[in-house]
Amino acid sequence: MSEWQIAAVVLIAALTPCGWVCLRGSFADGVVAVQLAGTIAALALLVLAEAERRQPFADLALVLGVLSFAGTLVFVRFLERQR
Amino acid sequence: MSLEDAVVYLLLGLGVALEVIACLGLVAMRDVHDRLHYVAPSVFGAVLVAAAVWAREGPSMIGLKAALLAAFLLAASPALAHGTARATRISRLGDWRAQRGEGIEVEDR
Repeated sequence: MSEWQIAAVVLIAALTPCGWVCLRGSFADGVVAVQLAGTIAALALLVLAEAERRQPFADLALVLGVLSFAGTLVFVRFLERQR
Repeated sequence: MSLEDAVVYLLLGLGVALEVIACLGLVAMRDVHDRLHYVAPSVFGAVLVAAAVWAREGPSMIGLKAALLAAFLLAASPALAHGTARATRISRLGDWRAQRGEGIEVEDR
């Protein structure tokens, strides 16, 4: 395994604590965890693209970064309405 | 290992370490506002990883995409953290502004 692949594995493993907080925490905690998970997943995709030397795959990371921002904004809107 | 490789691996290692620290902080903290503080280091981790890609590849297609991703996250994350904190206060207290019972001095205008 190259260093980039190891970094990708560590980043993917780092998604587990975010999932744990989503499952066990409140709705607001889950929104924060999703925010962090979006960043980490986008980075994992970027590092995987670099590890495999597949430059076009970096598009996935870029799209995920933008879409996870939009998705979290929707959850933030729901959180605001929740009383 | 050349100096260039050493710089790339240093940037990559620091970036991934920051992401792991952010995750541990997220799990360790108890309140949603405390947890929100740990989203910030994850953005700097993203900048470091993007810098590692740039240092390895130069201004190529993937280098530019990595820089674009880091720039987007750097711009979007503070806005999102602010929105989340604001939404949490509205959901808990009905208003995001400082309330009288919170021990914060509120100036009447």
